[in-house]
Amino acid sequence: MNRLLTTALAGVLALGTSVAHAADDVSLQLKWVTQAQFAGYYVALDKGFYSDEDLNVTIKPGGPDIAPAQVIAGGGADVVLDWMPSALASREKGLDLVNIAQPFKTSGMMLTCRKDAGISSPADFAGKTLGVWFFGNEYPFLSWMNKLGLKTDGSDGGVTVLKQGFNVDPILQGQAACVSTMTYNEYWQIIDAGLTADDLVVFKYEDQGVATLEDGMYVLGENLKDAAFKDKMVRFVRASMKGWKWAEANPDEAAGIVLDNDASGAQTEEHQKRMMREISKLTSGSNGALDPADFQRTVDSLMSGGSDPVITKQPVGAWTHEISDAALN
Amino acid sequence: MSWIIGALLFWAAMWLLNVQLSKRPQTRALSLLVPLIFGVTLLVLWEGMVRGFQISPILLPPPSAISVRFANSLPILWVDFVQTFVKGAMSGYIIGCGSAFLMAIAVNRSPFLQRGLLPVGNFVAALPIVGMAPILVMWFGFDWQSKAAVVVVMVFFPMLVNTVEGLKASDHMQRDLMQTYGASYWQGLMKLSLPAAMPFIFNGLKICSTLALIGAIVAEFFGSPIKGMGFRISTEVGRLSLDMVWAEITVAALAGSAFYGVVALIEKRVTFWHPSQRG
Amino acid sequence: MRSFAPVLTVVGAIMVIWYGAAVALNSSWAYDKAKRADVTLSFSEMVADTMAQKKPLLPAPHQVVAEIYKTTVLKKITSKRSLIWHGWVTLSATLLGFAMGTGFGILLAVGIVHSRAMDMSVMPWVITSQTIPILAVAPMIIVVLNAVGISGLLPKAFISMYLSFFPVVVGMVKGLRSPDAMQMDQMRTWSATQSTMLWKLRLPSSMPYLFPSLKIAMAASLVGAIVGELPTGAVAGLGARLLAGSYYGQTIQIWSALISAAVLAATLVALIGLIQNITLKRMGMLR
Repeated sequence: MNRLLTTALAGVLALGTSVAHAADDVSLQLKWVTQAQFAGYYVALDKGFYSDEDLNVTIKPGGPDIAPAQVIAGGGADVVLDWMPSALASREKGLDLVNIAQPFKTSGMMLTCRKDAGISSPADFAGKTLGVWFFGNEYPFLSWMNKLGLKTDGSDGGVTVLKQGFNVDPILQGQAACVSTMTYNEYWQIIDAGLTADDLVVFKYEDQGVATLEDGMYVLGENLKDAAFKDKMVRFVRASMKGWKWAEANPDEAAGIVLDNDASGAQTEEHQKRMMREISKLTSGSNGALDPADFQRTVDSLMSGGSDPVITKQPVGAWTHEISDAALN
Repeated sequence: MSWIIGALLFWAAMWLLNVQLSKRPQTRALSLLVPLIFGVTLLVLWEGMVRGFQISPILLPPPSAISVRFANSLPILWVDFVQTFVKGAMSGYIIGCGSAFLMAIAVNRSPFLQRGLLPVGNFVAALPIVGMAPILVMWFGFDWQSKAAVVVVMVFFPMLVNTVEGLKASDHMQRDLMQTYGASYWQGLMKLSLPAAMPFIFNGLKICSTLALIGAIVAEFFGSPIKGMGFRISTEVGRLSLDMVWAEITVAALAGSAFYGVVALIEKRVTFWHPSQRG
Repeated sequence: MRSFAPVLTVVGAIMVIWYGAAVALNSSWAYDKAKRADVTLSFSEMVADTMAQKKPLLPAPHQVVAEIYKTTVLKKITSKRSLIWHGWVTLSATLLGFAMGTGFGILLAVGIVHSRAMDMSVMPWVITSQTIPILAVAPMIIVVLNAVGISGLLPKAFISMYLSFFPVVVGMVKGLRSPDAMQMDQMRTWSATQSTMLWKLRLPSSMPYLFPSLKIAMAASLVGAIVGELPTGAVAGLGARLLAGSYYGQTIQIWSALISAAVLAATLVALIGLIQNITLKRMGMLR
């Protein structure tokens, strides 16, 4: 029995190596559906930056119920894009996620409120209904509310939290006073729906001092011990950053590339072009390397949460410059 | 490896035991014991596989971890249960099955309605509920009302099809007999058609009992207050607390089985005459 | 053809209600917009507005029809914006799942009817299996199946199967047991074997139970395929269209995907109904 198994395994392995001979396979799990938020990777794929580095990259779109951390734990991807709060929370659950590059310098997360709901500053939140994304995206919101001293469990004097679906309906229909939005996406959906900027008040997490790092590249720590994997990642990061810088310089073309790769056929050109321009505002500050100061700010914000902090202890080894240094210098 | 072999051996032994047990004369205790043994076997197999293959708890936690989590979070589970099952699923089930039943009787009474409404009803009710969920959430708000609405839409079709089918179940001779008695339409319905339809109606009621809970849970994915089983499942998957996810699934399974059991019990009382109940 | 007039009447009534509801539901947004723009709307202006909003709460039927026409007839079938292409993606998963589910369901039912041990131990768990909200954990299932190397059509078909085998089992167990004691005794006096009894008595008498179950199984299978498409990241299929439509608040797109899914479901169910009529007629069971 054992012998049979070994022979079979050997056969499979032999087959595997002969196929992998051509280019190194890398699969990337996105955090969300195909859109300009991930333009850099699609550009790198489309413009051949990956094949120049001898990589065969597969981009897997995400969705509302895909947890990138779970995908990488199951071996479904080599690299995942995730927000740092959820990545650090996963680390505390025992999944060794390591940040190898951080193309996004600034956070695009905001809380968008209707003026006619009586909100002009964070002090007005008490007693109001706020729409929040869950599924690992609630951490920045929770730590902000903690900082403001507002309870989120529905008790008196706190805020009522609503799990908003993946659109902005609650604010359009007045079911919530505020909803979570990204500068590059949901905010414009509100505008498209007919509300004007004058009807709205926005609170950027960046301005409130509770910004956390978004859309970093994460890999499993154990894989980083493998030199061949590290080499692959160095090439992957280099090509991806090249893709990002190209996308920043040519936003309209980049949006076109994203549209070509959208299998659902639901994206509109106008929205993607606008998204690409907003995205480049967030990525332009980064060359791909994680700024330790940003990391520390994220960690502090997550640990500050009074009784129920998102993470309980200072993470160790949650990021490395090894890959980005080798890729970018 | 020893975990896997042990689990497989346990499974084989228990299956033999069950075969032996089921040959014995039927008693109430036995008919509870046999499925229980089978269930325990499944759990042992699961635990053995997870440990044997060293599956990451982020993908599939072992039953032991799930039960610990279950015992530790009873208050949360109870709140979710009330929100989703009692408020969402039950009210939707009653409204949905009730209206489908009435509709079936109406359709049965009038040939015009039967010919006009049934094809259209089939079409409308064949709308996949998942698609209806975001729309109904948009219309009925975020609380349990929209979940109940999803359940109504979800259970309507199976219930209607089964009841209509059932009302045709009485055969020609029986109906002729009713006519020779000079029975009115309503007498025929109450004394012949409806009783004859009962096995079909209960078939529908049983299928709907499992659909109802699923509908209520899925609807919570498209927006909800921060309680409810669907909310908890999707949130905890995102937080990689798979043990909590499975604890909620356990609650769903327990609640659903109990619900089904109650319907089946009523069926036994009502359709005692049907060959399938006489065993 | 006798049913043509009644169906038309009912459809007409639904259209009237739909237009009425569209006006009622969309009017608040029209008024809201007008108030912010400081204009007052006359009734006819309001109605005109509710018929032509870009993201209405309930799109008017003609908007949906226009969208369906645009995405089926005017687009190439191979285009990713073609509804036909997305429908095909969903249909293939549905049919595979339905076939797997029906086969599995019938086998299980035959086993349950013949083996006491199986009846006693498996049947309660078959029922319990359906109380597990598989739709809720579908994303997880797909991720886990991906981890063991199963991807593409199969995970979706697997979810369809899980949903569709249940109605078949329930219906078939009932159906296979529907021959009454007299008929069974008759078979025994002919010293029929178990398998002869199955083929000559149990299976034929189960047919009236099988077909309604198949109709439900087909509808369930489609639901399974659609839900399975949601978490694959809006890649392709009617489910992906629904998700993308919902995500961008494109109600017209949601409704057009919904209507296509319903047309698909209705066609499939009607097909089963047709087979049912033919089969039962030939078996002399249709009254």
